Amino acid sequence: MRSLKAVFKKQFKGTVQNPEILIQFIIFPLIAFLMNLMMVTDFEGIPQDIADMLTANMPNMVTMQATIFAGMGLITVMSGIVAEDIEKKSLRFLTMAGVKPPAYLLGVSGVIFVVSFFTSAAFGLIGEFSGLDFWIFTGAMMSGVAGSIVLGATIGILSGGHQSASGLALPVALVLGFGPMMAQFNDTLARILHPFYTQQLNVVANYLTMGGADTPLWHAFAIMWANVAVLGILFAIVYAKKGLKG
Amino acid sequence: MISVSMKNVGKSFGTNTVLKDVTFETKTGEIFGMLGPSGAGKTTIINILTKQLTVDSGECYVSVGSDEIGLMLEHDGLFSKLSALDNLIVFEDIYGMSRKQTLEALERVGLSDAAKTKVDALSKGMRQRLVLARAVLHKPKVLFLDEPTSALDPLTARGIHTLIQELRDSGSTIFLTTHNMEEATALCDQVVLLHKGTIIEQGTPKEICERYNAVKTTMDLESVFVQLTGGGLE
Repeated sequence: MRSLKAVFKKQFKGTVQNPEILIQFIIFPLIAFLMNLMMVTDFEGIPQDIADMLTANMPNMVTMQATIFAGMGLITVMSGIVAEDIEKKSLRFLTMAGVKPPAYLLGVSGVIFVVSFFTSAAFGLIGEFSGLDFWIFTGAMMSGVAGSIVLGATIGILSGGHQSASGLALPVALVLGFGPMMAQFNDTLARILHPFYTQQLNVVANYLTMGGADTPLWHAFAIMWANVAVLGILFAIVYAKKGLKG
Repeated sequence: MISVSMKNVGKSFGTNTVLKDVTFETKTGEIFGMLGPSGAGKTTIINILTKQLTVDSGECYVSVGSDEIGLMLEHDGLFSKLSALDNLIVFEDIYGMSRKQTLEALERVGLSDAAKTKVDALSKGMRQRLVLARAVLHKPKVLFLDEPTSALDPLTARGIHTLIQELRDSGSTIFLTTHNMEEATALCDQVVLLHKGTIIEQGTPKEICERYNAVKTTMDLESVFVQLTGGGLE
């Protein structure tokens, strides 16, 4: 417990005092907020049916940025933290001081999860979700966050170094983060991405903003948690093979 | 009382034999120096004793558990985005030490003024001292120091020597590796000369120097090493 607390405190300071990491939790909601402001919402003088069509087809900046944050930002953040601690041998000193690998991973993940909750809540507020919708949105976000944390930790262990972690994480993060945005304009891509958690996060967020989901919400949540379970198994395999060797 | 020992230890990495039949003992409360050029196998010995590597043959022994060991290894392993104090606080929390003890450790290595400075902004010498503060924070019974003064200016190195002697005087066993013969002569109670993974001589610096007529105005372990290996430091 003492080790877990020590790692949690270390990671919390490392996150809030390090602009390179902290920016990842701020920039996406900020972009969503600014883009929302810039979106044309004044359809005065345009016939009502055309205005309705434009409104219905207007991409939602909050859901887009929220998916990019959960799918892209967090994978690179988590993989970078783990890979850097391995590469710089900081993790070796922690384990030799008696910190068990699960305590390290829980401590680091815990901070990312907690800080991500505030970012997710910020997205919820910017997206003007209220009541139950706010909590459904935040729940979907946190499911996505959990998936990305596990995936990021796996990539961090697999790569063992900051530079190779970026090389590995970026393509995965691009597909998971940007894929759902592209899928809003392409049904084939939406079908391909259907089994992935970020696509389902996008489905939930879009349903809450625009309605009209093809499948019930629990279905999307089930897919997201199935993703987390599969990623957890993948993590266990990689961890068993490579461990946290610094 | 024996603190650290190795008996007939052998270690290879693939076809490269790094240690051959290494045997030595370190007594409690002494400074024990493992001397040799780069690539002699010094770091491998520390890695084996700190359980980062396993032996291929032979036995090794450390009298205390990992929570009573202090480490200063080749890589500093500091959290570069945290301040000097925050780096120590991580280990203060792990070991359950008080903040007072942490501040004392920082003061002991002369880094009180740099407590709030991020590790990224510290000089090489300051980082080295911080690593030493981290290693001694929990008052370890056995301290492993891998090249503790390499690449340091003489003044900083001297400060670290003083601290190492103080730790020995307070009862800790210090196991240090170095390729600096002068440092070993001045600091160590016992030394082992290691060459290409084999121990070629061991004893007190004085005994060894006398054995090879290398005491002129001062003891000269380096000339002993040259006599034994036929060459200088690599």
